[in-house]
Amino acid sequence: MQSKTRPIQRFAAAASKCSAQAAVYGKCIVEDYNSVHKDKCVKEFVKLKDCYLAAAKGHK
Amino acid sequence: MRLIISRVCRPQNPRVCISASSRRHYAFQASGGAFLKVFNSRTKWLQKERSALDVEASRQSDYLKDEIAARVCERLLDVKRHFSRVLDLGANSCNIARALTREDLDQSPDAPPSPPLANKITQLVAAESSESLLYRDADEPFNKDLQMTRVVLNDEETLPFDAASFDMVMSSMSLHWINDLPGMLAQINNVLKPDCPFIGAMLGGDTLFELRTSLQLAEQERRGGISPHVSPLADVRDVGGLLQRAGFKMLTVDVEDIVVDYPDMFALMQDLQHMGESNAVLGREMGPIGRDVLLAGNAIYKELHGNEDGTIPATFRIIHMIGWRESADQPKPLARGSGEVNLKDILENKP
Repeated sequence: MQSKTRPIQRFAAAASKCSAQAAVYGKCIVEDYNSVHKDKCVKEFVKLKDCYLAAAKGHK
Repeated sequence: MRLIISRVCRPQNPRVCISASSRRHYAFQASGGAFLKVFNSRTKWLQKERSALDVEASRQSDYLKDEIAARVCERLLDVKRHFSRVLDLGANSCNIARALTREDLDQSPDAPPSPPLANKITQLVAAESSESLLYRDADEPFNKDLQMTRVVLNDEETLPFDAASFDMVMSSMSLHWINDLPGMLAQINNVLKPDCPFIGAMLGGDTLFELRTSLQLAEQERRGGISPHVSPLADVRDVGGLLQRAGFKMLTVDVEDIVVDYPDMFALMQDLQHMGESNAVLGREMGPIGRDVLLAGNAIYKELHGNEDGTIPATFRIIHMIGWRESADQPKPLARGSGEVNLKDILENKP
């Protein structure tokens, strides 16, 4: 039980590889956080997600 | 007409189905006031049970509860009295008992070393709704330093104790999950003997505001709407009024912020889960938070609140409260207009 990595830990490890993309996405949101609407930063998010997916694949 | 009915069924005694009659209210009921159910008490109970299953992880993430229990017990140093029967309400894993048996709790360097506070207490009754969590540390050495009875509560919103049967009630880190807080405080007042204190602490105010705002922004941007992920919590100004309404006298309410740094949002959420403090708000979206929202939330958390070294802070605001059961021989404020010295004269003549 203990040795098994939980999915969230794998997720966190993969996400931590994408801090550059995360910072870009975060800046886009924080820049004007009073008027956030759906897909406001979709471009930045797609880049972050692509990076995460690539990192997650590498882990398997 | 709205009718709120709650039934609490616990698997360990499947035949007993408690209809919580005290929690049934018609919206037009004149007495008792409006009462809203905010938390799913069964979810909370399950979360606590599950957290206690992984004993190691559960112990590791006890740092917050241990710290707050110690701060609650520290307040006992100011009461020069012996307590024969004390209730620890919502004991979690008996964090208060552990703090009571610790030596030298008051860590200020100029104070002389103090013996464990357990010396001031004859019997401690630890009441908690989650059996696994309550008995998690039943074999630990601290149990021997204190005469302790463990009581599993069938319903954490109803106290199964006689009126005026305790010399003190303590509570640390559990009142923020109570639906009917005014009712709970009134029950606490009821089980106390006259002129006996209630010393409690719970999370409140801006607790976890960083997590709350980050997830809100992430959900707003990714999905175009938000669902509650952090409990609504009582504020400091509410607590004074609540204590007063419950009939407590000589109130003390104060706040303390504890800020803990975590490597990322996932570590924080995982620790909350191990503490049994995950989300149990009624009307939240069921199921786990989507990966897109988590990914976005983590990025926003770092950007909006993050520390310079890349870690993220999480604020826990603790509301401490002390109230005393009313008694005839308690000091009381003098009647209005009975003052004989004019404060203005004193203050103005001060050199």
